[in-house]
Amino acid sequence: MSIIPQIDFGKTLSYWPRHNEAIYRRLESKHAWLEEVRPPDEAESVDPLDNQMVLNMGPQHPATHGVLRCAIQLDGETIEKCVLDIGYLHRGLEKLAESKTYQEFMPYTDRMDYLAPYSNNVAWCLAVEKLAAVEVPERAQWIRMIMSELARISSHLLWMGVALMDAGAVSVFLWTFQFREDLYSIFDEVAGARLTVSHSRIGGLVTDLGGTGIKLIEDFVEHFPAAVVEWEKLLNRNRIWIDRVEGIGVLTPEEAIEFGMTGANLRGSGVGHDIRRFEPYLKYDEVDFTIPTRTEGDALARYFVRMEEMKEAIKIIRQCLDRLPEGEIRSDDAKRSYPGKDEVYYSMEGLIHDFMYTDTGVCPPKGAEVYHAIESPKGELGFYLQSDGTGRPCRARINSPSFSNLQGLENMLEGGTMGDMVVMIGTVDPVLGEADK
Amino acid sequence: MPSEQQPTQPKTLPFLFTPVVSSDESAERENPHVKSTTIVPDVVSGLKERFGEAVRAASVYAGEHTVLIARDRLVEVCTYLKDELGFNFLSDLGGIDRFTDEERYEIFYNLVSIENEQRLRVKIRIDESDLEAPTLTDVFRAADWNERECYDMFGIRFVGHPDLRRMYMPEDFEYHPLRKEFPLLGIPGSLPLPPQSPEAGLTMDPFPAAHGSKPVKSFDEEPGEDLSEIRSEMPSERPDDK
Repeated sequence: MSIIPQIDFGKTLSYWPRHNEAIYRRLESKHAWLEEVRPPDEAESVDPLDNQMVLNMGPQHPATHGVLRCAIQLDGETIEKCVLDIGYLHRGLEKLAESKTYQEFMPYTDRMDYLAPYSNNVAWCLAVEKLAAVEVPERAQWIRMIMSELARISSHLLWMGVALMDAGAVSVFLWTFQFREDLYSIFDEVAGARLTVSHSRIGGLVTDLGGTGIKLIEDFVEHFPAAVVEWEKLLNRNRIWIDRVEGIGVLTPEEAIEFGMTGANLRGSGVGHDIRRFEPYLKYDEVDFTIPTRTEGDALARYFVRMEEMKEAIKIIRQCLDRLPEGEIRSDDAKRSYPGKDEVYYSMEGLIHDFMYTDTGVCPPKGAEVYHAIESPKGELGFYLQSDGTGRPCRARINSPSFSNLQGLENMLEGGTMGDMVVMIGTVDPVLGEADK
Repeated sequence: MPSEQQPTQPKTLPFLFTPVVSSDESAERENPHVKSTTIVPDVVSGLKERFGEAVRAASVYAGEHTVLIARDRLVEVCTYLKDELGFNFLSDLGGIDRFTDEERYEIFYNLVSIENEQRLRVKIRIDESDLEAPTLTDVFRAADWNERECYDMFGIRFVGHPDLRRMYMPEDFEYHPLRKEFPLLGIPGSLPLPPQSPEAGLTMDPFPAAHGSKPVKSFDEEPGEDLSEIRSEMPSERPDDK
C-alpha cells in the first residue's frame, strides 16, 4: 500500500526535484519490520489518511542540532521508517584539503566539530606528524592533552544543556553555559580565540601555556566538579527526566558494533572501546583514568556515560597540570615545523624557514599513507592521509564520528515514537558540521 | 656586429614545486607515533597463506599494514577476517583517486578488531573502464553510508548495495567532486540554488564571475557540451572580429 503517489508536491519542490523524489522513493521501498507485524487485512481496511503520514523534519528545525533532515513515515505516533538526509552543510573539506598545505588546512578542522575545535586540531596535527615522522616535545603533548580534555568538557556541556532542553528542561542549558563561558575564557587566554582556536601546530603548539592560563584552568578544575555533583543531584533520581529517557533508543552491543557507532554511544551499549586505551596517543598511557561504560544501551545510559566522562576529564587535567614539564613547545626541526617568531624577526635563516614552511610546508615521502585516530568528544575522529611527496596531501579522508553515529541513529529511530525522536537525536549527539564535512 | 640570426629560445627553467623526494630521510627515521595495534604481520601472513593469489600485495608504512586484495575476492576475505579473526568493526571506508592510467581508483577499508586490539587496512583497486566494486553491506552494515559517500564522491558503483543514492550532493548533481579532474571552484550552473525571493526563479549560477572550464567526464560518456557553439551565437562585442 503506497501512500507516496497521492502526495501532490505542487510548486514546493521547485528545486532539486530528483533529490526529493529519491528520498521519498527510498522511504517507500525501505523494508520495515513494523509493516510485517501489522496484520495485512487490517492494514488494507485502514484509511491511510487517518493513520499514516509522511513527515519531514528539518533541515531547519531547532531539535535536529543543525541541518539534519529526517523524512519519516508515521503510523499513528510510531515511526515506521526513517530516511535521514544529510549534506546541507557539505563544504567539501576533503577536496579543499588537496589544495592546501598541511598547515594551511588546520583552520578548516576548527569548522568540523565546532563544539570541540581543539580536539580536531590535535587530531589533524597528530595525523600529519605520523605521516612525516615529526617528533613533538613533551610539554606540547601535555598541553594538548589538557586542552583536548577541556574541549571534551565543553562539548559534553553543550550536549547536556541541549539534550535536556529537548526533553523540556530549559534551566540546565543556562547553567551549563555559565561553565562554557569559563571554558571559552580559557581558550581565549591560551589560544587567542574563543571558538576557532587553531592553537596546535604541526610539531607542537603556537604559544606556550602561561601563568594566567594555568591559573584559569586551575580555577575551573576546582569549581567544576561541585557543579557536576549538583546537576547529578537534580537529574540522576529525577522522575521526570528518567521517565523521559529510560528505555528509549536501545542499542544492543552487537547492534552498536554493527552500525559502527563510536564514542559515548558505543560505550553506553556496553562496549568499552575508547581510542585513548585502544591506541594511546599523546600521553594517555601515562595518566590514570577509567573509561565509563554502561550496559543498558538506552538514552539514559548515554547520559550517565557522558556525565562520568566529564569527571574523568577533570581527573586527567589535574594529573596533566601536576606533571606539566618545562621545555620547548615546538619541534626544533625547521623542515618540519614553524620556527619561533624571535628567530623569524631577528635571523635571516629563520625568515627563510618561515617562508618555506608557509609556501611548501612539511613534505612526507611519496606514497606514504597513515591513519591516525583520536577519541574526540563525539567518538573516533580519524584522518587518513596519503602523500605524493609534495607539501599538499594527495588524499585526506576524514573519518568523522558524527557520520557513523547518524547512520546508527537512522536505524535506532525506526520503531520509536514521534515524541521520543527529539530525545534520541539529542542523546546521540550529532554535530552536522562534522558529519557533512 | 650582432648577427642577424634568430636569438635562440632561452631555455625555460623548470619550476620544481616538488622537492626531491629521495633525499628525504624521514622514511628511515623511527616514527614516534607508531601504534602497537596496527602492527599485524600475523594477520597478513595468515591471509597470504589462506588466499594465496588473491592477496596481491602487502606493504607497511609507519607500522601500518596494508593488504591489497583482488577485487573479486574482497567479500570472501572480509567475511573471513570478520568471522575467523575477529575484525568485527568497520571503522572507515573511502575511495582514492590515484589519477593513473591503469587501475585508477582505490578503495580502502579500515577494519578493527576490538577484542584482539588490532587494526588492518584492506584495499582494492578499480579500473576506470569498469567502475564497479562489490558491496560490503552484507558483511558490515556500517558500510552502507560510507559506500554511498564513495559513490557520491567518485562515481564507483557498489554492486548489490541496497540503497545506492548520493550521500552529500543532491541527486540532481551530475559530477563526482573528489575526482582529480573536478575543478576546485566547482562547475558554475551545475547546481541551482533556491530562489532569492518568493517571486524569483532559481539561482542558476551563484558565481557569475567564476566561469571556469567544464571538465570532460572520464569514462564511457559523451564529452561535455561544447561551449563554442553557444559562444558563436552570442553577439560579438567587437564588430571587427567578423
